[in-house]
Amino acid sequence: MWKQKLRDGVVTFALLGATTLLCILMQSVNGNANFAQILFVLAVFLTARFTHGYLWGILSSLIGVLLVNFVFTYPYWEFNFTLSGYPITMICMLAVSVITSSLITQNKNQELTRLEMEREKMKSNLLRAVSHDLRTPLTSISGACSVLLESGEQLSRPEQNKLLSDIREEADWLIRMVENLLSVTRIGEEKTAKVVKTPEPVEEIVADLSGKFKKQFPKSPLTVVIPEDFLMVPMDAVLIEQVLMNLLENAVIHSKTATKIVLSVSRTQDDAVFSVSDNGVGIDKEHLLHIFDGYFSGKETPLSDGKRNMGIGLSVCNAIIRAHKGKMSAENLKEGGCRFSFTLPLEEEKHYEQ
Amino acid sequence: MSNKHTIIVVEDENSILNILEMVFKSSGYQVYTAKNGKEALMMISSYCPDLILLDLGLPDMDGLKIIQSVRSWSSIPIIVVSARNHEKDKVTALDLGADDYLTKPFGTAELLARVRTALRHASGDNDKNKAYEGTFKVGALTIDYDKRQVFKNGENVHLTQNEYKIVALLSKYSGKVLTYDFMMKQIWGPNIGSDNRILRVNMANIRRKIETQPADPAYIFTEIGVGYRMAEEKG
Repeated sequence: MWKQKLRDGVVTFALLGATTLLCILMQSVNGNANFAQILFVLAVFLTARFTHGYLWGILSSLIGVLLVNFVFTYPYWEFNFTLSGYPITMICMLAVSVITSSLITQNKNQELTRLEMEREKMKSNLLRAVSHDLRTPLTSISGACSVLLESGEQLSRPEQNKLLSDIREEADWLIRMVENLLSVTRIGEEKTAKVVKTPEPVEEIVADLSGKFKKQFPKSPLTVVIPEDFLMVPMDAVLIEQVLMNLLENAVIHSKTATKIVLSVSRTQDDAVFSVSDNGVGIDKEHLLHIFDGYFSGKETPLSDGKRNMGIGLSVCNAIIRAHKGKMSAENLKEGGCRFSFTLPLEEEKHYEQ
Repeated sequence: MSNKHTIIVVEDENSILNILEMVFKSSGYQVYTAKNGKEALMMISSYCPDLILLDLGLPDMDGLKIIQSVRSWSSIPIIVVSARNHEKDKVTALDLGADDYLTKPFGTAELLARVRTALRHASGDNDKNKAYEGTFKVGALTIDYDKRQVFKNGENVHLTQNEYKIVALLSKYSGKVLTYDFMMKQIWGPNIGSDNRILRVNMANIRRKIETQPADPAYIFTEIGVGYRMAEEKG
């Protein structure tokens, strides 16, 4: 706020100064200053255009009027308020500044309203999609519980266990989805979309993650490839872990036939590149185009009605990576299967090496 | 077991409280429950339990206050339960003297394992007074405190001064999470500041020396955003 004021002040006085200099220059060439008023009107207009609010424009028009009066109208270097056109000049300049400022402010507000509306739309899309996704597992949990409560005795022990493990599986899925949604709230206000980054060693993130992943999917064929060298990447570790977890889960659940899942990390000049690839069935071409914006774009949501679609997870991943100023991409591999990768900028590293 | 360990469970959600009570009872613990901070403080001071399981989100007071208040007169082990998105709370809780933390949602097996660890630490000689004497063994790793050396499969692992100090510190509190802050102060003294990069780099070197696969560690585990934990001595 304070910085903005300073900037506006600098702009105002720079414009006025430049105009004054120009007028003095032209006056020394031409011998008169008839154009001074027009030039100052232009200066006032520009000030109103490039500063915030009304204050600077009005200030600029007042100073402009006084300067024109003082410097560029006869008698020079003296104030003379009895000139015949003086009030008109004054009023014109004020009017220019006020009208310009108000037009620009209005414009800016319109832009804000549009953004606001877009956000609202995104939110309601997300809400609708999420409620849809959560309803299915909740219904099956509630159903399984009713069966167990009402006619548990008639069921055999294995049948009961089947129902119970279904309940647990559905509940675990719900927990993971809710974690995803909670992560989104952690990204802060959508407008700023900022995360708090601290430098974390990649190997620690990967080690912790692969431990958790193996606990959840003990039979999954996960291979991990990390760089030999010690690599610190600025990130919100919890969120990045969540992204990788989502990607690994997708690889297990959606690739169907995958016999190999590889999590690898490498570095380029400016980025750390994380990727998860599998040798499963890959992704439909059509789906691939919109894979990350399923829930956050205005488009009609889930492609399939399947409750375990990738929508929420991937949209959240994308939002998290964007908030880290990284890029996320998905592609089908020639040899079959697909690869999801994202980059995280290393830039803050320098700061720590000093 | 004729002489049961007593546990006080502090948790405001009824359903979770029920489950925890059942889990502990079926594993042979004596359980008392408290649903808010006031009740908890009263029960802790009248029952003097062997362990406290504390949810940080209580309706009437900050769970951290309970830790502070209990620590002012007792070293009863406290295990903190918190939601995942709050690493800061975990770190604060550990720094205030909590012994361990669990992240919701957790499995019962994990819960019971942590409780056993905490009880064992409490019943054994007090960690803080335990001297660096004799040896510590976990898996293929042996730490000889007298010679200040670490061996893996009988071979000397050449650690630097600071690396040895870190490993020794972690081994002294094996099974427990040590926060970055705590470790930094123990190794480099109280004026080290809060940039823990030096610790992380040392840790990476240690990992390369003692772990067979640094990306899948067997001895020293990372607790993201909180600190490190060393695997426990078996038996």
